[in-house]
Amino acid sequence: MSEKLQQIINKQNKTLSGDDVKIDEVIQLVGFIVGDEEFSVPILSIQEIIKPISWTRVPQTPEYILGVFNLRGSVIPLIDLRSRFGLETMKHTEETRFIVMKNGDDVAGFVIDRLTEAIRLPKKDVGPAPDTIAEEESMIDGVGKQADRIITILKVGKLLERNF
Amino acid sequence: MDEFQEILQDFLVESFELIEQLDQDLVELESRPDDLDLLNRIFRVAHTIKGASSFLNFDVLTHLTHHMENLLNMARHGDLVIDANVMDVILESIDLMKALLVRIRDSGEDSGLEVNPCVARLDAVANGTALGETVPSATPAAAPVPEPVAAVEAEADYSGMSEEEVEAEIERLIALRQAEDAAKRAAHGGQTVTAVQDEEPDYSGMSEEEVEAEIERLIAVRQAEDAAKRSQKGHEPEAPKAEPAAPAPVAATPPAAPKSEPAAPVRAAPAPKKVEPKDDGENRGGSAVEQTIRVDVKRLDHLMNLIGELVLGKNRLIKINDDVEERYEGEAFLEELNQVVSIVSLVTTDLQIAVMKTRMLPIGKVFNKFPRMIRDLSRELNKKIELEITGEETELDKSIVEEIGDPLVHIIRNSCDHGIETPDIRLASGKEEGGTIQLKAYHEGNHIVIQIIDDGKGLDADMLKSKSIEKGIITEKEADLMSEKEAFGLIFRPGFSTAAQVTSVSGRGVGMDVVKTNIEKLNGMIDIDSEVGKGTSMKLKIPLTLAIIQALLVGVQEEYYAIPLASVLETVRISKDEIYTVESRSVMRLRDEVLSLVHIGDIFEVERVFDNSEHAYVVVLGLAESKIGLIVDSLVGQEEIVIKSLGEYLKGIEGIAGATIRGDGGVTFIVDVAALMQMAKSVKSTVGQESAEAKNRGGAKNSPTDYCVMIVDDSKTDRTIMRKALEPMGITLIEANDGVEALNILKQGDHNFDGMLVDIEMPRMDGYTLAAEIKKYNKYKNLALIAVTSRTGKADRMRGVESGMVEYITKPYSPEYLMNVVKRNIKFNEGL
Repeated sequence: MSEKLQQIINKQNKTLSGDDVKIDEVIQLVGFIVGDEEFSVPILSIQEIIKPISWTRVPQTPEYILGVFNLRGSVIPLIDLRSRFGLETMKHTEETRFIVMKNGDDVAGFVIDRLTEAIRLPKKDVGPAPDTIAEEESMIDGVGKQADRIITILKVGKLLERNF
Repeated sequence: MDEFQEILQDFLVESFELIEQLDQDLVELESRPDDLDLLNRIFRVAHTIKGASSFLNFDVLTHLTHHMENLLNMARHGDLVIDANVMDVILESIDLMKALLVRIRDSGEDSGLEVNPCVARLDAVANGTALGETVPSATPAAAPVPEPVAAVEAEADYSGMSEEEVEAEIERLIALRQAEDAAKRAAHGGQTVTAVQDEEPDYSGMSEEEVEAEIERLIAVRQAEDAAKRSQKGHEPEAPKAEPAAPAPVAATPPAAPKSEPAAPVRAAPAPKKVEPKDDGENRGGSAVEQTIRVDVKRLDHLMNLIGELVLGKNRLIKINDDVEERYEGEAFLEELNQVVSIVSLVTTDLQIAVMKTRMLPIGKVFNKFPRMIRDLSRELNKKIELEITGEETELDKSIVEEIGDPLVHIIRNSCDHGIETPDIRLASGKEEGGTIQLKAYHEGNHIVIQIIDDGKGLDADMLKSKSIEKGIITEKEADLMSEKEAFGLIFRPGFSTAAQVTSVSGRGVGMDVVKTNIEKLNGMIDIDSEVGKGTSMKLKIPLTLAIIQALLVGVQEEYYAIPLASVLETVRISKDEIYTVESRSVMRLRDEVLSLVHIGDIFEVERVFDNSEHAYVVVLGLAESKIGLIVDSLVGQEEIVIKSLGEYLKGIEGIAGATIRGDGGVTFIVDVAALMQMAKSVKSTVGQESAEAKNRGGAKNSPTDYCVMIVDDSKTDRTIMRKALEPMGITLIEANDGVEALNILKQGDHNFDGMLVDIEMPRMDGYTLAAEIKKYNKYKNLALIAVTSRTGKADRMRGVESGMVEYITKPYSPEYLMNVVKRNIKFNEGL
């Protein structure tokens, strides 16, 4: 009797942990376009996505820091991902969005050209960043492969790190 | 209340605070006897209380704490291992210390308690002698009182309670106690607590194993108790720590003879303390303690933050109200809205003041330590110095009170050492033998002024200069340019000292630098006045509070910055001719002073497009002892702002102290005046130089298409009529549907518009509003706004002029007329 019970419990445990593994294996990302490329960040690192609002320039900062904006009473830095990635800046369009990302207590808004979609990606389809990029300096966490395209996954921690 | 009483009160407040922490620390120390941090903390308590009590002449308490300190010091240095024996003695002495403090609080003196047996034991432990042998086992605590030690443990918590609550608590504790007793009785096989104590001498008869076992058992009981206590504490709502305002209702009946059992932890046996809440009021003959509640500063800070948000909301509401008022002039509901807005703003202001007041402390707290300091210093320096204090009841923010102490100490030491002369010199120069230092505090607007005046030898500007040159602090050239006041300011430079040799009092050239740094941190100002032979007066002007400040908003191009009003001395409007250049730095003459100037645009890298006005606004900034003139494009006005941090990512930007959110929801930076003054030294002057771009803008018109005019009208027909009229000129024409669209096109900056034809009646944003919006931006200053409308009333025309229109064309019009008006206003060059 007890042996049978043990077997059942074992079986249940197995399925349970098996489910866990399955959930673990999928990562959820939000994809967006900057320049000609599609990038993505983990959905959990996004606080909110808003339409462009006015901001205030901050002196003595690199060009890619557009300034700060008021998000319901908090003063939050605004970073232009185009110029952060060394691309030419572009006027904001109807599709431009601010993605407010957070990592611990660090919060910043990032200007992107447009959103694409929320992506569910099995972990096995995520490859490492290309070797040519120095590990430490890289803002790239990995590269997600989908049937018809490649998505660069960004390191949110690195994006939110002050480097000036 | 006399001075001694006040010091005594502070001493009691501090001691009880320390002891409260001590109880927790000791409990922890039992489980981690090697924790050096804990030991240090406990040692410091003993040390602090000893120091203070010796100062207050509490000999018995000093005697006791001195020996405690010795013992703890040994433990701290690893010369003594804290085991249960040692712990017992420590705990006993601490209980005794508490009893003494309670006694001091109640009667004002520390006599009547026998500390010698305890001291002897402390020494015995310190000397490493086995306890049981040296100290004869004393009579157990006279009559065990039916309150458990838990009462002593949780003592501090009672203070926040009402009498009823105390009663309830006592009942609860008694119940608890009884339960404990029952448990103990069970453990002891029916023996009562008294029996536990009677049984004690029996320990000597036990074998070592037995003693060990007994110790373990007792420790287990003890830990269970502690755990229970801790969980109780956890259940109690976080009552604000209100001791000792309403003192803990524990009247000490001191132990006739403290326990000396070697193994049983003292607190396992009830300490003979009584809870007599009823005596609370009457028993405090010795020193009446103020009726106050002690609140965690964090809570006040949080409250202050919330008020800050409210102030921002209020600002915003006022702004919206103004806008609404403008648009719906004369409508009935406006009256009501106005009333609500003014009530909200009034209440917010009152609330803010009320919360600020809760954070206020009298400056007497700081002043009170100076009489003694002066006494000591005058003895040390062989001078006769008297201190006169006035205005010690003046109140200011807690955080400022904390910061102001150090600078004052330095200034007063300085006055004693360098200011006041020795008696013989004073007599020789015809002064009284004794010198006087006056310490004054008073309010002046939103500031508190602290003035330190001595009647000593005064500051000699020439001597200060030559000393500074000698020490390499300034060059001779700089010295020549210096005014007397600036020379006085030299004493604040790091490394500066006039003392011929370093004494214990001064001469290291650090003190006054500390003064300057601390005062700057508080956004304060220092003003020195001195006359050789007569004395020196130093005026510290400090804002009352730090979190919400009054600021002057200034504009440069289309950016705004907030300058703390505390640092603004005055604003002046000058003509550009009044700016001189001396050694590549801009200066101006302000009455009898020469003021160096810096443009805010140079500090904050603002791209300056137009700078062709003949006048400039100069904001004269003062901080500590230095002054500077900041040139701005416009003065917007005074506003109450709440300082917000810029966060990790952007912190530490030079010249910016923080940000604030304005009434319109935008972010405005707050200028860090101290940093700005530093930056001004290295910034190259561009004042008076017109930017190259500005010239280009006006000149680079090579073909008619370089001229660009926007047509703003909501009617397609009207737009087409205007387009047809202007097309023959060959200029670039852009159309917009309404004010909002026009503004967006303008801001995108794709075209450099020379003119704009504006209809008045439009949806979303009308012509007047559009014009007013555009005129907010400096870079569109030269954009010609032409109203094209069917409104012909005089009032309409006036409004047009007010909002910045240069021409007013009424429909209908002839195409030629329109073309001419446009040509004239955009300065169209026919030759192209």
